Amino acid sequence: MRLSRDARNYLLFGTMLFVVLEALLAVAIIWWPSFAENTGVLKRLAAPLPMLAEQLNLIDMIGVPAYVVAQHFFKGCNTLGAAAAVLLAMNAVAGEAQRGTMELWLSRPVTRRRLFTERYLGGLAAVCVPVLLTTLTIPALLTLVDETMGYWDLTLCAVHQCLFLGALYSLTLLFSAMGSQPLKIGFVMLFACIGEFALYMVKTLTHYSAFRLVDIEAFAAILSASSLDPVRAGSLLAVNVAAYLGGVVALERRVP
Amino acid sequence: MMCASPTDATVPQRARSSDRQPMTPPSATSTDSTGRIVCRGLKRRFGDKQALKGIDLEVGPGGITGLLGPNGSGKSTLMRCLTGLIRPDAGHAEVDGLTVRGDGADVRARLTYSPGELNLYGEMRGDEHLYWLLRGREASAHDRALEMAERFDLPLTRKVRGYSHGMKRQLCFAAAMAPDVRLRILDEITDGLDPSRRGQVLDALRKDADSGTTLLLSSHHLGEVDRACDRMVFLNGGELIADESPASVLERTSRLVHLTYAEALNEEQLARLQGPAVERIQPSGRRVSVWIRESDPREFLAAVAQLTDLQSPRRIEYGSLSLAQMYTDIYGVRGV
Repeated sequence: MRLSRDARNYLLFGTMLFVVLEALLAVAIIWWPSFAENTGVLKRLAAPLPMLAEQLNLIDMIGVPAYVVAQHFFKGCNTLGAAAAVLLAMNAVAGEAQRGTMELWLSRPVTRRRLFTERYLGGLAAVCVPVLLTTLTIPALLTLVDETMGYWDLTLCAVHQCLFLGALYSLTLLFSAMGSQPLKIGFVMLFACIGEFALYMVKTLTHYSAFRLVDIEAFAAILSASSLDPVRAGSLLAVNVAAYLGGVVALERRVP
Repeated sequence: MMCASPTDATVPQRARSSDRQPMTPPSATSTDSTGRIVCRGLKRRFGDKQALKGIDLEVGPGGITGLLGPNGSGKSTLMRCLTGLIRPDAGHAEVDGLTVRGDGADVRARLTYSPGELNLYGEMRGDEHLYWLLRGREASAHDRALEMAERFDLPLTRKVRGYSHGMKRQLCFAAAMAPDVRLRILDEITDGLDPSRRGQVLDALRKDADSGTTLLLSSHHLGEVDRACDRMVFLNGGELIADESPASVLERTSRLVHLTYAEALNEEQLARLQGPAVERIQPSGRRVSVWIRESDPREFLAAVAQLTDLQSPRRIEYGSLSLAQMYTDIYGVRGV
C-alpha cells in the first residue's frame, strides 16, 4: 500500500503525540498513590493560587477519576494536544503558500473542497486519535495502582476533549486557509492559548477562559452524568463545523 | 519509445535509461472533447494592477500556440484563468467544451497544466512526486510519466530537493505529457533546460500536437517557441497585441537590420543611409533600426558598404530578434 505524503506526515505526527501522551499518562498514574498521600501538603503549597487550589480540592473530593482527567485531559491534552493542533493546522494551507507549492497543489484535477477536507480530516485524526487511544489505556494503567474507571465515561471525556481540540484545530486551519505565513498564524494561536490559560488561572476572570470548557469540573460533570453536556459539546461542534466551512470557502476563493 | 495509448492492454514497463528512443506522448482519444480554448473578454485585476484587460482568444483544435510576452504581460494569469485556478473578474472561458467555473477541477480533468513557478516538495522522491502530480489521472499515465522521466535520465529514486532546476522542470514536463488529454497548457515549460533537453522537449511537443492535441505554451524566449509553434500570440500589459504565424514573424524580422555604430549618427548621416532598398529608419542612440523593402538584406548592406566616408558599423544584426527587440521594434511597445 502506497501512503500519500500527507498520510505519512499525519501518521508520524499522530504516533509521536500518542507516545508522548501515553508516557505522561503512565507516569502520572503510577505516581497516584504518592499524590494521594501528599494531597494535604500540595493543597497548602497551592494556596496562593486559588484556581490551582480549587483543582486540588476537587481531586481530594472526587479521588482518582478527577486526578486522571486532570493529568490526562486538563494537563496533557490541553497542552500537548493544543500545541499539536496548532502546529498541524498552521501549515496545512499557509505552508503551501509559503513554500510556493500552492499552485502545484491546486493544479491537479481535484476539487479544492476535497483537498481541504482531506487535510482537515487527516490533521484532526492526527490530533484526536492519540487522545482517544491513550484514554482507552487508562483502565489498564489504573490496575497498576489498584483503581478502576469505566471505558464509557472515559470515552465521553475523550470525545469532549477532542471537540475542544478540534475547535482549536479548525480555527487555526481557517486562518491557515486565509493566510500565507504559517509561523505568524501559529504564534498568534499559541499566544492566544497561553493568554486563555492565564485568564483561567485568575479566579475573578476564569469564567471568560475557553479552558473552563475542559477543566476538571467539566470532566467531572461528564463522569457523574455519564453523558456529554449538550450545550458545551454542541457549541464546540458548531465551532468545528463553522470553521471548517469557512476554511473551505476561503480556499475556494483563494488565488494560488 | 513505443508509448502505449490508454487502451493498450500492456503498459510498457519502466525502460532502462540507456534504451534511448524518441519520446512519444499518448494519443488523444477522448471523443466528447473539442480540444478548443475559447475566451471572451477575460479580465482580472490584482489590487491596482489590471493583469488582464479583456482578452479574446480562440485556440485549437490541435496545433501549438505560443503565448509570448515579457514578465507581467499576463501570460500566466491567462493560463491560470483558463485552468480555473484564478477566477476572472469578467468574461467567459470555455475549455475543451466546458465552461470554466468554480474551482475548475472538471476543466483540469480534461487538460494538463504545468505551472511556470517551479516549487516542488523536496522531501519526496522523484517517482513519488510523479505519482503525486498525477493524482486524478488514469493509471497508465503513471507508467508513461515514469518512462518519460527515465528517458530524461532523471534519478527517480533520489529526493527532489537534490534536483537541479532543469531536472525539476523535466519531472513536471513528464507529468504534464503523460495523461491522455486533448489539451495541455504549459507555462514556461522549457525554462531552465539546457539546449539539448530543450530540443527533446520541443520535439515531444511537436509529436503530441501532430497526434491532435492542442498545446498552449507560454514563453518569454522568442527563439524557442517560433521553432515549435504554429501560431504566436503576443501579450503586453494584459492586452493581446498581436496574433501571427511564425512565418509572418520571421518575414517581419527578416526585413529588419540593426546597425550599431561607435558614435550616434546625426540627421545628415542618417539621411545618407536612406536608399531605394530602405523603407524606414529609426535611430536609438548608437543603434539604428532599418526596415528594408525585401527580406534579402544584400542590396542594403552593399549600399552601406559604399558609404566609405561614413563610419563603419561596429555590429550588424539581421534575422534574429529577442522578444524585447520584437516588442520595441516591431510592435512599438515601450518599456519592455
